[in-house]
Amino acid sequence: MINFDQFTLDNGLRVLVHEDKSTPLVAMNILYNVGSRDEDPDSTGLAHLFEHLMFGGSVNIPDYDKPLQMVGGENNAFTSNDITNYYLTIPSENIETGFWLESDRMLELDFSQKNLDTQKNVVIEEFNQRYLNQPYGDALLKIRPLAYKVHPYRWPTIGMDISHVENTSLDKIKKFFFSHYAPNNAILSLTGNIGYDLAGRLTRKWFGPIEKREVQARNLPPEPDQNEERTTTIEKDLPSDALYKAWHIGPRKGSDFFTLDLITDLLAGGESGRLNTKLVREKKLFSDINAYITSDIDPGLIFIQGKLMKNINFQQAEEAVNEVIMSLTDKNGIKDEMEKVKNKFESSTVFSNTSILNKAVNLAYNELLGNAENINLEVDAYRRITQDMVVEAIRRYFVPSNCSTLYYKSTRKDK
Amino acid sequence: MNSLKRKQPPVFAVEKVVIPEAGFVKLNNGVPVFCIEAGTEDIMRLEFVFRAGQVKEPLPLVSSSTNMMLTEGSQNYSSEELNRLLDFYGVFQNSSASKDNGGVVFFFLNKHIEKVLELSREILFRPVFPEEELRSLMNKRLQWYLVNREKVQNIATDNFFQSVFGKDHPYGRNVAEVDFEAINTALVTDFHSKHYTSENMTIIISGRIHEKTTELLNTYFGEPISKKTDTAGPVKNLRGETGKKLHTDKPGAVQSAIRIGSPTINKRHPDYPALKILDSVLGGYFGSRLMKNIREEKGYTYGISSSVSSLDLSGFKLISTEVGQKNLQKSIDEIYKEIRLLQNVPVGKEEMKVVRNYMSGEMVRMFDGPFALAESFKAVWEFGLDNSYYHTLAEKIKTIEPDEITEIARTYYNIDDLYEITVGSE
Repeated sequence: MINFDQFTLDNGLRVLVHEDKSTPLVAMNILYNVGSRDEDPDSTGLAHLFEHLMFGGSVNIPDYDKPLQMVGGENNAFTSNDITNYYLTIPSENIETGFWLESDRMLELDFSQKNLDTQKNVVIEEFNQRYLNQPYGDALLKIRPLAYKVHPYRWPTIGMDISHVENTSLDKIKKFFFSHYAPNNAILSLTGNIGYDLAGRLTRKWFGPIEKREVQARNLPPEPDQNEERTTTIEKDLPSDALYKAWHIGPRKGSDFFTLDLITDLLAGGESGRLNTKLVREKKLFSDINAYITSDIDPGLIFIQGKLMKNINFQQAEEAVNEVIMSLTDKNGIKDEMEKVKNKFESSTVFSNTSILNKAVNLAYNELLGNAENINLEVDAYRRITQDMVVEAIRRYFVPSNCSTLYYKSTRKDK
Repeated sequence: MNSLKRKQPPVFAVEKVVIPEAGFVKLNNGVPVFCIEAGTEDIMRLEFVFRAGQVKEPLPLVSSSTNMMLTEGSQNYSSEELNRLLDFYGVFQNSSASKDNGGVVFFFLNKHIEKVLELSREILFRPVFPEEELRSLMNKRLQWYLVNREKVQNIATDNFFQSVFGKDHPYGRNVAEVDFEAINTALVTDFHSKHYTSENMTIIISGRIHEKTTELLNTYFGEPISKKTDTAGPVKNLRGETGKKLHTDKPGAVQSAIRIGSPTINKRHPDYPALKILDSVLGGYFGSRLMKNIREEKGYTYGISSSVSSLDLSGFKLISTEVGQKNLQKSIDEIYKEIRLLQNVPVGKEEMKVVRNYMSGEMVRMFDGPFALAESFKAVWEFGLDNSYYHTLAEKIKTIEPDEITEIARTYYNIDDLYEITVGSE
């Protein structure tokens, strides 16, 4: 149970505070309600590039990192399709420095051409390192536009094409900042060794004076239903074939989100997941295989992906995957495994909550979804899932016409 | 309210690094147990450590394969049952074999402790190493290996260790495709019986420790020792390659990997804390010189870092990065330039303050919560040291003078001694 206090400033900034005296540290998390789905299709990758620029100095502070390091702090950030999230941990005696730094960059960035030019290069190297220079690293870049034809989820956070990042200008950056970075478009969470009174006083002092901004309204085109099987093939000189399959699912706040999450746990949770047990251990068709949901706010995807063993062809592999999925519709056959994945979910929630940083990130994210209190209800929501709900969801989503498949084919002779 | 002057708040020195001492008990058979009480949840991290790392293996892959085979079937459970039960009780299990040690860590809710102890005894002391499971594991591992060999960073790291510690020593030798076929149940069974023994075991527990915890540990692990442990010392013929530069061509690679470093002192040496501080200045944190120069000034890379690590028989320092092919030589030149600067120009006052405070903050994080505490404890225990290492480090962080950093850079960063390993397309 995570107890927390919450309030909203006049400028619209939502604040969540959870005190945990067992640590000498405080975690501070700021979630901005902007992600790659908010980008213009002609200028993708901007939200993520922007995350980099946020460390290049703000209107009153030329260097973000140095003063934070000076007080023993550490920080990082991530960008997803839906959000841009910044966090830091800091010894509690110096928490005010965190407020000073974070409020200043919410107030206004120091938009420097030099910083923009350098960070463009850094992001291009990030793109090369993560996607181009890894075996199979571009698979997810290729399968998104297969599954999504209209919705902005069709491009990845790094950008649809790296030239979008290369070609962006300081003007675009400024416009992006003032239309998305605003107290009324952010959620601040504080966890760890900080009392409610101090948290309230420092928040009002540093964030209170920032004025509300006009936030660009979100009006995203919904993805039409997929009515036919979609496939694509990549050929490369790599050691083995790999199979990627994605099915459309509902939104994060949909009633079957946890059911789908549980289904991926039945399939691939822990060493004893069904895909691993049947296809890696028993039948030896794959060297590894995984299943997960994207947890996107708008309707997302459920993925199954794996690398094939030598001398196994795609047809064998795919049939076997489908067989495992359909085996979950045997209601009585999954009873014990349901109990297993529920126990594991509970345990993983307890472990996640031993970290003040995880608590800060999760509180802010739950608040964005509608109610921070849900952080305490997840285990129950997951426990309430019945065998019937699993069977129903399998039948609804795992149909061929809802599926996009990427065949990553090895051209190596001795594969 | 708009009158707020956005001046920097006062900076308080990070003084309160609290380093709790671990409790110590011996089981009835003499097995040492270190106990660290911490955290707010009723959970436990239970680690079993054995001197069963690569350094003890007769052939490549033996220590890691033995370690991975522990959960592949025991006297009373099949591999499927073991894995299913661990998941059923919500246990997170992490098996690993490093250069020096091998072992298993379990994370679980205390309400399941008896079941976890029973299963962990099966895993550690009653494995049966079925032939079929071993073959299947080795086939999978070969596939993983082949995929990993596609990554410039993996090839570079492997080549680094081979250059630095020599291809005849287990610290250095590279794995080859044929090694996967050479592993058989006799090798694994033999390695297990020699190294996974009670005499060779240490237990580290952290989290919420109950009155009954020791009693339970005794029930499952306190029996008299019968097996014979191999007490032969490790192979000591550490000898680096004579050639300091090695480039491996990887056609089509978009980025080149760079590894620069050499063998060095380990935690047992009195200069080690000062070397750690030098390493932070050079490439040990986001504000380090390498990061500032090569990423934040020039944009050659997504990331660059340096580290100093300890091994039982040695230690090593290592600078790692991946850069675009066209910036490969420029990046290498800048790395050497930064090392020379540290050897010739004392670190300025302001930068000293940043490093001191950043490192003090890091120390707070190293002792925050039951998991971090256990890892920090293990990191000194395995070298026969105790918390006095951390007290010395904390003191050094506060008191080191710029001249000493220059001196350490001259002593330990002799550029002629450094190996330069690169992998990429030519």
